[in-house]
Amino acid sequence: MTPYAYFFGCVIPNRYPGVEYAVRWVCGKEGYDMDVKDVPDFSCCPVPGIFYSTDKETWLLLATRNLVLAQDERREILTVCNGCLTSLMKASEYLKDPKSMGKVNRVLAQVGKKYTGVPKKSEGKRKVFEPVSVRHYIEVMANDIGLEAIMAKAKRPLKNIKVAVHYGCHYLRPTESRTIDDPNNPVLLDKIVEACGATSVDYEDKLDCCGAGGGVRSHVVDLANSLTEDKCRNISAVGADCIVTGCPFCLLQFDNAQKAFSKDGIPVMHVSQFQALSMGIDPISLGFDTHHVSAHSLLRKLRGA
Amino acid sequence: MGEVERTFISGLKEELVEEKVIDESQLDPDFAKEIKKYGGKDVMTCLQCGNCTGVCPISLKIDYKTRSIIKYCQFGLKKYTLGTRWVCATCYRCYEHCPADINPAEVMIALRHIAVREGVIPPFIKVAATNLVRYGQSVKPDEEINKIRKELGLGDIHTFNPDFKKVLREISVLVHASKYDKLIGIEDEVKV
Repeated sequence: MTPYAYFFGCVIPNRYPGVEYAVRWVCGKEGYDMDVKDVPDFSCCPVPGIFYSTDKETWLLLATRNLVLAQDERREILTVCNGCLTSLMKASEYLKDPKSMGKVNRVLAQVGKKYTGVPKKSEGKRKVFEPVSVRHYIEVMANDIGLEAIMAKAKRPLKNIKVAVHYGCHYLRPTESRTIDDPNNPVLLDKIVEACGATSVDYEDKLDCCGAGGGVRSHVVDLANSLTEDKCRNISAVGADCIVTGCPFCLLQFDNAQKAFSKDGIPVMHVSQFQALSMGIDPISLGFDTHHVSAHSLLRKLRGA
Repeated sequence: MGEVERTFISGLKEELVEEKVIDESQLDPDFAKEIKKYGGKDVMTCLQCGNCTGVCPISLKIDYKTRSIIKYCQFGLKKYTLGTRWVCATCYRCYEHCPADINPAEVMIALRHIAVREGVIPPFIKVAATNLVRYGQSVKPDEEINKIRKELGLGDIHTFNPDFKKVLREISVLVHASKYDKLIGIEDEVKV
């Protein structure tokens, strides 16, 4: 089985601990018993909207530092966030260029680190290295664990629950280097939700941006919220019970923005929390009390009340 | 949305309307080259088809036209583009729809690189960079959340682990080596 390293990033541990709990629970003994390890020295990915936007050199240094830690552990990075995915995946791409790699390594030597990639096999005397692999939780669940296994573990299928899935931009784009899913017609998150027994409902402009990315939320929150409002209007129109996303920053945006324009709001959660619910976890462990939009309406419906 | 428009579009549209005539002294002939230096593609190959604006979620909300900004880049109207680029959500829709393969989102990112080097640094950049140097994360740790973590049986956030000091030192060394601390004015935070 593939060995992974957890990469939770900044938003999950510091804002949505319930997501961290859910991921550990699903990947752990209660769930799929995967070979996945904590790497305590991981730092911020670093966040693309800040560092990739203002100084690519610094961004690449900090991202490579994280990649080296995974490389030395011989593990694939399991990201739970679209931002971490795009930042680390892009860095891994950049480092395929020997010139970039050399430049980065000259600086990383100051902190005793060196990026080579993961040694795979030797061809004669020559060692062959592969870039550090950066994966997304959704893709690992759908491809490595498999939809059938998800279905088999869903001992409490979430029947009658209508879900509006939100992929988030950086899960889909840019498609420069690698695609996880079809950027124009992605399916993996929908399939996971359906494997949990729920119904994924289609809605208008499903692939639109939540509004938070690129520093827009930090910089002009009204503009970000107005994009979210459009999305929520379309989601309400099809009567969804909750929003499920693979990105904690989109989660944060949906969760916070709804305060600005609606009284109750649509509950929003990470795909790992949704999966854990279908596997029969006690919802109290999912940290919904840290969410701004209450999950009560959904939990009540699940209890059949 | 009125306020947002005033803040972010005034740098471009109103000034252009006010001044009406742009003489050569306002053009920077090397602007396209500078954009390339920071990772943008050649803006001169833009066809001005407008697909990027058509698919831009921000353009639906405020008077922000990706195509126009690329046009100003072609002209070399550097100073007019300084205040407009922080509203790009980097959703990369424009990239997927660009027939000339310009990747307008990356042009916006190159423009941000140029802006910070011209001293245009939005406060949130400093906040996030300071958090990174102090805590190793771009989000500030929250005591309340840490309490909930403990209730859930999760460990402390890495930042609170004494061994994490070594990581913070490494981050400082790297941020200092690339001169990022000086670039955005957080030298006081970086101890090397």
